[in-house]
Amino acid sequence: MLDLVQAVLDGLLFGTTYALIGIGFTLVFGVMHKLNMSYAAASVGGAYCGLLILGLVQGAPPWTVFLAACLAGGVLGYLVYLTCFHFIPLANPLATLMSTVGMLLLIDEIIVHVTDGMPKNFPAMLDDEMLRVGEITLRGDLLLVFGVSVVCMAGLLGLLYRTRLGLATRAVSQQPVAAQLCGIRVAQVNAATFVVTGLLGGIAGALIGASVGALSPLLTTPLTVKGLIVTVIGGLGSIPGAIVAGLLVGAFENLFQQFRGVTERDLYVMLLLFAFLVFRPEGLFAPKGGRD
Amino acid sequence: MDFYYGLAQIIGVHTLLGLSAYIVLLTGQVTLAQAGFFAIGAYVSAMLTVLAGWPIVAALGVGTLFGAGTACAVGFPALRVKGLMLVIATLAFGEGVRLFFFNFDYQIAKGQVKVGPVGGEGFRQIRYFPEHGWTTFDVMLFIWAFVVLIMALLWWFDRSRYGAVLRAVGEDEIAAQSVGINLTAVKVSAMTIGGAIAGIGGGLYAHYTTHIEHSSFNILVATFAIAYPIVGGLASVFGTLAAVVFVQGFLIEGLRFLGDWRNLLFGALIVLAMNVRPRGLLDAQTLGRLGRLLGGGR
Repeated sequence: MLDLVQAVLDGLLFGTTYALIGIGFTLVFGVMHKLNMSYAAASVGGAYCGLLILGLVQGAPPWTVFLAACLAGGVLGYLVYLTCFHFIPLANPLATLMSTVGMLLLIDEIIVHVTDGMPKNFPAMLDDEMLRVGEITLRGDLLLVFGVSVVCMAGLLGLLYRTRLGLATRAVSQQPVAAQLCGIRVAQVNAATFVVTGLLGGIAGALIGASVGALSPLLTTPLTVKGLIVTVIGGLGSIPGAIVAGLLVGAFENLFQQFRGVTERDLYVMLLLFAFLVFRPEGLFAPKGGRD
Repeated sequence: MDFYYGLAQIIGVHTLLGLSAYIVLLTGQVTLAQAGFFAIGAYVSAMLTVLAGWPIVAALGVGTLFGAGTACAVGFPALRVKGLMLVIATLAFGEGVRLFFFNFDYQIAKGQVKVGPVGGEGFRQIRYFPEHGWTTFDVMLFIWAFVVLIMALLWWFDRSRYGAVLRAVGEDEIAAQSVGINLTAVKVSAMTIGGAIAGIGGGLYAHYTTHIEHSSFNILVATFAIAYPIVGGLASVFGTLAAVVFVQGFLIEGLRFLGDWRNLLFGALIVLAMNVRPRGLLDAQTLGRLGRLLGGGR
């Protein structure tokens, strides 16, 4: 019983990174009604850039890696927008799907090329700290992941609901034509969305690196799949949905890893997704009147 | 020479993989499940020839049926969701199949050696072709016989009423429904045909490589399956073939002299191709022009 609670809690803490990746997918989908398949790869890429920058600056404290990864992620996000969306007609969903897949392969290969395919150690933060609550221990690095993720989510919600950019973003996601008639530059809002999701993604990539202890190109595929699953379970285009679904998937995955082993773990996550598709295809919190 | 026969085999099998996604894409559905059907066809037909000693054609036939049956069964629940949800649902299905074979052990002793699939190690010793004395050239002809047959079949579909119905659903579902087209029947049938083609392709793949494992059917394969028709263009079956030749012949084999840099160029060229030709390499306009050129300026 104690194992069970411990596994669920660890999973919940790590699940916040899935939630961040899911938010990135869902935000772009909400605004552009397009899937950005290269998002998880760009996030890991951002984290790699963060490591690279940290290596260049002598004597920088380890936490600056988050800042560097965040900025690099934002730049990557803008590059993805420019190469995969800006010049392709919006009416053609297949073309942007394919171009982002191409970008996913490209980012993956650049990472493999630059690092010779070897995993890179990530600076350990709060590795030895433990928080004991009764019989349950909470790992310090996972608590850090959780804390940073919550701050990021709060920042994002603040941006969306308290600023003019957020207002414009929400307007475009509701009705692009009407938003344009009100004088909102749709292309600019789209680009800004990519930058914001990129900033989030860079942090998510760095957090995953911090909790795993290493960055490896092998992370991108599972992260893409998990991020997409989180997006669907939460409801396409719904940010609270992505958060709840991220925690759910994290806990579920860790629970089955504990009891069925690491090779079978993802099989059960897929089954969870299928259960949702059959019984609740619109996800947990689909936005009302959501179009496909 | 054997190198070129081998390349032709790869191109043939990948064309089948691309065509299996082509017919589903015609109805406007993006599916990432094709690698799953490909895996099912591969494992089923390889188990039949290796473990049960069946002849290859019969084994391929059963593999095809399994592919089609699973596709039909997946089609009904999965097609309740549309568009991007379907992409993710089928992606999860494909990964589910891969993980199933990752955890799947079934071995029997044959002589001194044990044969059969073993989880992570994969399924070795699928030696039907070498055991029966087929040369690389024979295998290539065998594979291409299927490719030509299926391409002819799909080309004929495209000219028939059924092809028009598929494209009508792909262009505008509501309009198609309002003229009395049964959307579920059309989509599930396209999915089933796609599953069957992927099943044949998988069976052929297993036998020419002689060794399959779960990682041969990962998301990358599923992505390639939809990449071929999209990069090549959905205007005709030849677009898929053109894209397979472009990707497997040019990007993968032709650029081998670039060494490591080839892989980098690969993703970049896909991005570039979609920017320059969003409707595919062989879009309807180009095809029309080619047709006039070949048809003597009709």
